[in-house]
Amino acid sequence: MARQWTMRRITPLRGIWRYAAAFGLVVGATLVAEGVYRLFDTDRLSMVFLAGVLITAVTLGSGPAYFAAATAFVIYDIYLVEPRFEFTMNSAEDYLVLSVFLAVAMLTGRLAGRVREAQGRAEVQARTAGALFRASEEFSSSDNEDAVRQALAQRIAEAGGGEAMVLHDSRSWSWPPGLAIPSALAELAARPASEAAARESGWRLRQLRADGVMVGAAAWRVTPLDDRPTDSPEDDEKLVYVLVDMAGAAIARFRLAAERAEMQARAQTEQLRNALLSSISHDLRTPLAAILASVTSLREFGDRFDAEVREDLTLTIQEEAERLNRFVANLLNMTKLESGALTIEGVSFGVAEVVGRVVQRVQRQAGARKVVSGIRPDDLAAFGDPILTEQALANVVENAVRFVPNGGRIEILGRSVGGKIVLEVVDDGPGVPEADLQMIFDKFFRSAATSASQQGTGLGLSISRGLVEAMGGEVFARPRGDGHSGLVVSVILPGAPS
Amino acid sequence: MSGVLAHLLLVDDEQQILRALKPALAAAGYAVATAETGHEAMAYLAGEACDVVILDLGLPDMDGKEVISRIREWSETPILVLSARDLEHEKIAALDLGADDFINKPFAVGELLARIRAALRGRERRFSTHAVFKSGDLEVNFATRRVALQGYEVRLTPREYDLLKALARYGGRVVTHRQLIAAVWGPAAQVDAQFVRVLVAQLRQKIEEEPSTPRILLTEPGVGYRLTPEDEA
Repeated sequence: MARQWTMRRITPLRGIWRYAAAFGLVVGATLVAEGVYRLFDTDRLSMVFLAGVLITAVTLGSGPAYFAAATAFVIYDIYLVEPRFEFTMNSAEDYLVLSVFLAVAMLTGRLAGRVREAQGRAEVQARTAGALFRASEEFSSSDNEDAVRQALAQRIAEAGGGEAMVLHDSRSWSWPPGLAIPSALAELAARPASEAAARESGWRLRQLRADGVMVGAAAWRVTPLDDRPTDSPEDDEKLVYVLVDMAGAAIARFRLAAERAEMQARAQTEQLRNALLSSISHDLRTPLAAILASVTSLREFGDRFDAEVREDLTLTIQEEAERLNRFVANLLNMTKLESGALTIEGVSFGVAEVVGRVVQRVQRQAGARKVVSGIRPDDLAAFGDPILTEQALANVVENAVRFVPNGGRIEILGRSVGGKIVLEVVDDGPGVPEADLQMIFDKFFRSAATSASQQGTGLGLSISRGLVEAMGGEVFARPRGDGHSGLVVSVILPGAPS
Repeated sequence: MSGVLAHLLLVDDEQQILRALKPALAAAGYAVATAETGHEAMAYLAGEACDVVILDLGLPDMDGKEVISRIREWSETPILVLSARDLEHEKIAALDLGADDFINKPFAVGELLARIRAALRGRERRFSTHAVFKSGDLEVNFATRRVALQGYEVRLTPREYDLLKALARYGGRVVTHRQLIAAVWGPAAQVDAQFVRVLVAQLRQKIEEEPSTPRILLTEPGVGYRLTPEDEA
């Protein structure tokens, strides 16, 4: 790969060698003429020399062709024209032969030169297009900015025929890999408009810009070897410029995409924060309003209320204070989960006891709904934090209580499956639409099928999932499979090590 | 109707709020009906006599503001809005739609009762011509344009007097910046709320004992001002 460009085309002869070759061709023509002369004894051999000039012009270009014409004429004159072996320029024929030789050399040389030039240009263009195409493919298939920089270094090295590197933020990508970075160059690369200064050090430099922002610099150097792949350094330079600009555009695209993703994330965070704020505002204020109204009623009219009203108001105060407490606990857990401050101290604990506490805890909220534990004492032991497990399970049951109509039933079942404890909260409520099953554990998700009176904080289930996952377990929901409507939420915890 | 001061309609979808408020309102002498949705409230108002509607803006079936504008299409019944403290724009929108006053949640029952009394008074005032407004030491005589503090006359500029009169006319209910601007500078005036603030500060210098901690001319942050009603100061 690295030396691919040296083989891309047959290296043409250069400079003095072309003239040597022209001389060789003329010598060849002389030898042929000598042979013909000996065989056929004819001295009309100017055609043989003319052929030599023609071949020279076609293969080696104008300069060597003129040289060949002059040489051929001199040899022809000395060798064949009477007096032989003596250079004379006195007959009209001499001048005619020289003129014809020169004319042929000029015309053919020019023609051939043009053809060669056109061929060369087409080749350069094809090569440029190929290089650009490969680069564009490589840039767009890169998955980050640095991959683009690495690809750019390689593409420049190949196009410019030498060594290349891309410098950015005191890091570098080079081709061939592992090039030493001249310290002066690193310094120049960080400065804008330092192209000219870099040129003195033998390196060419071009700023890499993405939407006008400097995102690095490309430096390259033509290899001192004579096996350069092209005759036109200007074309190479243009190609490198285009490559650098393409890389800049690719990086700009990456930045734009990253920016968009960040903006989306920010908007989402903002949305979450707003939802959290309005949830806190509503869920803190409603119980507070009830408590404050009840307390002030009692203080103002306590003596005018009968015992039943007083009992009802104090009950409201207790219930609402409990509700506030639950909400604050959930908020705290949510904050801990989000900040990663939740440390789980795993212990083995009896599941029946935890489930029993949950059942007791939700009893008042449940009202006319039946919440029962189907777990026998000492049946199952899980590994985790019993208090957090209770909170997670209570949130699931409280959610069920909100949706199960009065007189409904919520049952908590448990079994051990392959070393894991599977707890299932089974209700006979309306269930959850299939499409929403995955989302009910998302923060602030409220199913469209939820009526206002059923709306909770949108925190409970997401906290359950957060807590259970923090303990190495998992939570998921499914419809009841036994023909009844209702939801089954499974909480899977690691079993206690035996 | 023996002994009933007024008929109230309490509209809130939170059961616990209804449970907490009903006994106190009843004990204070009001007949209380309750509704949990906007539709229920409108249905009740269409059929029953009601003196004050106490309305929570967050209802399950429709926006509380919508309820206000629907009621105002055919009824002048005073509407007292329950709202969270931080939702100023909600309160202003509710007042613009025709609500008479608001109270921030959470609130003490005494506060709610005072607002209900102010709302009822506001209704009476529309039909009577009280010549004098009293609030504590402050006395405003609309007939003679005399303002007195502890019996001593206070000299007010015409604008200060207009502002005080506008607030006194509402008798304890909140008056929005816009309403005050219309009352003092005229309905078409393009005046910034900042002018109201400056004028209020001037007026407080003259009628408040301690202008930095006003007791008579109270600020409702983000919404407007209210005068402490005559029987509460």
